[in-house]
Amino acid sequence: MISTGNDIVCMSATDIPRTKQSKFYSRILSPSEQALCNQAANTFIPFEYYVWLLWSIKESAFKYLQRINPLLVFSPTKFVVIRLDIPAGFLMETFSGTSITQTGFDSAAVEGVIICAGHELSSRSMVYQDVMVSVVNNNEDFDNICWGIKLIDDINPETQSVEVRSFAMGAIRQHCDGKPIAISKNPDGIPLLSFDEGKTVLPISLSHHGAFVGFSFHLC
Amino acid sequence: MTREEILDELKKVIAPYTTNKEALADINEQTDLIKDLKINSANLVDIIIDAEAKYEIEIDYDSADKMMNVGTCIDVISEKLNLQK
Repeated sequence: MISTGNDIVCMSATDIPRTKQSKFYSRILSPSEQALCNQAANTFIPFEYYVWLLWSIKESAFKYLQRINPLLVFSPTKFVVIRLDIPAGFLMETFSGTSITQTGFDSAAVEGVIICAGHELSSRSMVYQDVMVSVVNNNEDFDNICWGIKLIDDINPETQSVEVRSFAMGAIRQHCDGKPIAISKNPDGIPLLSFDEGKTVLPISLSHHGAFVGFSFHLC
Repeated sequence: MTREEILDELKKVIAPYTTNKEALADINEQTDLIKDLKINSANLVDIIIDAEAKYEIEIDYDSADKMMNVGTCIDVISEKLNLQK
């Protein structure tokens, strides 16, 4: 089954002092992930970024798997990142401009592997000082996955919802030869791309947090 | 504490994490934290930790997984309060 899952974390919308408290991060990171951080990641990224990076991978994986099992419960410590490869010479930059829309990921992406409920998924994440985005797939090939993130002015949830759909539709139209398309939801509330008045549907993942919205979908 | 008393306090715990004040004023046991109150999933951990402090209880991970709507939040808080008696 084709699925997709993405997640965004806007760092200014997080509570950084609280993130560093064990009572908080131990509800997100499994013991093995806390060890993984001590082994490698903290030489490249601050601990609070590590926590939210793993959160974004876990949430992306949950969205991916929820499409397969709508009854799945998001229990962060049961989604376990077992590999995280941070590029050599990694330097966390500030997100520049107002949006990125891209197919696939370049060498700046953090690569990961996450396991949950008998599934093993691959992840790619872009980590900036102000925002991070993750996308998961069921294999290592992300060349056919379109994703985007956009900075918005109004962080009201209703505005976020409108903005993310508008942003995603702009990217979709570039790949769909003028076919009539719409974003709808299935009976479980999971978003779908609907072509030709529902004759064809494809999964799409939408995300918003703070001042950022994002999407991911497989190209047709 | 009665369920109504827990709900009154729970509103205060949830308030900082929702901008939908109308929905907060009208919450009932069926109100979903994410779908109805538009709380970002990233804040659910905050709500659990704040609830632990507010009610002076400990919420284990399996119980926390159940706290997706107001009714299940009250169930868990009520259960943990009863364990202290």
